[in-house]
Amino acid sequence: MLVLAKVALGLGATLAMTTAYVFHEGVVRVDVDERRPGGSHVHVWVPATAVSAGMRVARLAPQHPLEQAAEQAKPYLPVLRVLAKELQKYPNAEFIDVTDEEQHVHIATVNGKLRIDVLGDDETVHVQVPVETLMDVADRLEDASRSARTEEWHARHARHAFASE
Amino acid sequence: MNLCTRGFLKAAAILVLGLFALAPAASPAQAATDTDQWIHIRVTSRDAKGEVVRINVPIEMAEKVLPAINKDRLHDGKVRIESGQVKDVDLRAILDAVRTAKDGEYVTVQSNENNVRVSKSNGMLYIIVTDKEQAKKAAAKEDAGKGAKASEPVETKVEIKVPMKVVDALFSAGKDELDLVAALRALSAHGDTELVTVKDAENDVRIWIDSKNATE
Repeated sequence: MLVLAKVALGLGATLAMTTAYVFHEGVVRVDVDERRPGGSHVHVWVPATAVSAGMRVARLAPQHPLEQAAEQAKPYLPVLRVLAKELQKYPNAEFIDVTDEEQHVHIATVNGKLRIDVLGDDETVHVQVPVETLMDVADRLEDASRSARTEEWHARHARHAFASE
Repeated sequence: MNLCTRGFLKAAAILVLGLFALAPAASPAQAATDTDQWIHIRVTSRDAKGEVVRINVPIEMAEKVLPAINKDRLHDGKVRIESGQVKDVDLRAILDAVRTAKDGEYVTVQSNENNVRVSKSNGMLYIIVTDKEQAKKAAAKEDAGKGAKASEPVETKVEIKVPMKVVDALFSAGKDELDLVAALRALSAHGDTELVTVKDAENDVRIWIDSKNATE
């Protein structure tokens, strides 16, 4: 009985620690609701830690999807990085609010999370991303872009050496 | 204390320590203060649709983000002016003349189409433009659509008020460049200011600076 209690405590503590670790960066949340017949309803909640971990794993994939994404996003990475860093200073602020006859778009930070809300007549979109995750994504993409450049340099160098032989 | 209780306490202690260790660390970025200056842009449409655009940007954030944008004429927080745009006008010389001159009204143009006033007072540069022609065209177009009798044209009035220090900072980069970052820095040092007001038949536009982080 005592052994069982100890095992249960150990498991419980491990589960609590794992849960705390997984959610300590917050949650990336995407909700899309289309108000038309057959319209899609997408509700995704992903722990922000999983995003960082996923990007680390993606770098090991043979097709180098992260390097390709980083190359495409390269011109915007410095802006994303600076913006994410600056947003950390404004955990609760309203940045953009556009209201017209058909839509209401609202971009703000709430408790350190970037929130984008689009309320339309036929569609509602809510996106919530912890600002820290934005920083993390920018860092990972920058690393991937750098390693893609290094690989390209090595490949070119090897081709050049082979040709000169 | 029996073994079970001791085990429970141990596990609880480990859990609490673990949670403290995993709690998000204090953000390395310094949090914004109430004295931070914000640039606000508000566009209100006068038509029945009632479109409203509100943009609030901390000046410090704009100062940091602008140099990271390198596109077209914007590089390192500076905008390149094509020499063709200014032709033979020496903006720097004009600016020097305005800076050293006494307070007063420098340009007054009154015509059937426009009224333009440029003046300087207490370290501020004022530019006021009233466009009558645009309003007449807009009213005529509206009346033609309705087939009604002519309505009273609403003039387009643009009022720009810029601290001279900001103008100086804007032209501090070089001959064919405008230094936006330096201008923002000067602007944030100046304090609360109403910068631009545009009123026409379609929209009201207001650009101002204060220390509030939301539009009033």
